Amino acid sequence: MSRHAHGLRAWLLQRISAVYLAIFLVYLVLHFIRFPSPDYEEWRAWLGGRAVGLASAGFIVALVIHAWVGMRDVLLDYLPHSGLRLVGLTLVAFMLAGCGVWALSILLIAGMQNGS
Amino acid sequence: MPQQDPAPRFLNLLQIRMPAGAVASIAHRISGILIFLSLPVVIYLLDLSLKEPAGFALAGKWLDSVWARTVSVLLVWSLAHHILAGLRFLLIDLDIGVDRDTARRSAWITSILALLITLGWVGWIL
Repeated sequence: MSRHAHGLRAWLLQRISAVYLAIFLVYLVLHFIRFPSPDYEEWRAWLGGRAVGLASAGFIVALVIHAWVGMRDVLLDYLPHSGLRLVGLTLVAFMLAGCGVWALSILLIAGMQNGS
Repeated sequence: MPQQDPAPRFLNLLQIRMPAGAVASIAHRISGILIFLSLPVVIYLLDLSLKEPAGFALAGKWLDSVWARTVSVLLVWSLAHHILAGLRFLLIDLDIGVDRDTARRSAWITSILALLITLGWVGWIL
């Protein structure tokens, strides 16, 4: 894929993920207005539920994509030379990959506990 | 043909004079970075709260602390500004509100609205 097409794809992914993230966050805010302080069992049952679990997993994937494109843009704009850029991009990539796997595994475990 | 300057490779923010649109834009970047930095802490709390009742209670206690409340103000501003300014960018991408006056006004509105939401949050947690 050419550089130009790559940039266009990142631009589009950034916007599609943004819409999903915004919709999910509005849902979260409305949910916590309706059910302000859950106890442990309610909290686990809610996040371990199939619909909320899947929507949350989608949220995490969208968040990782969105944060990667955004942080990459920021680093490329403000880091003055390629060595620093490489270090910065590598750190961000590791952190986002780690966060994504970590968060998804938390959701998966919560979902399995609910199922059993 | 006039000689065109090459695209700047390095932006020194202190040398640029910023109208409302630029302020909303740079605040969009700063808030995005803050949200990015908060991710490990938020995921850690999620993990703690789901593992066992004791962890859930500990996460709740931690969220009640003065420290967490202070950080939450910054995070609420970040989320509010990032979403509102992001929505503004999406609309501008769709050719809505592109002319200078409208863009300037919407930049003011999004930035101020985000601050008002943050103020509401401060009132809520005090």
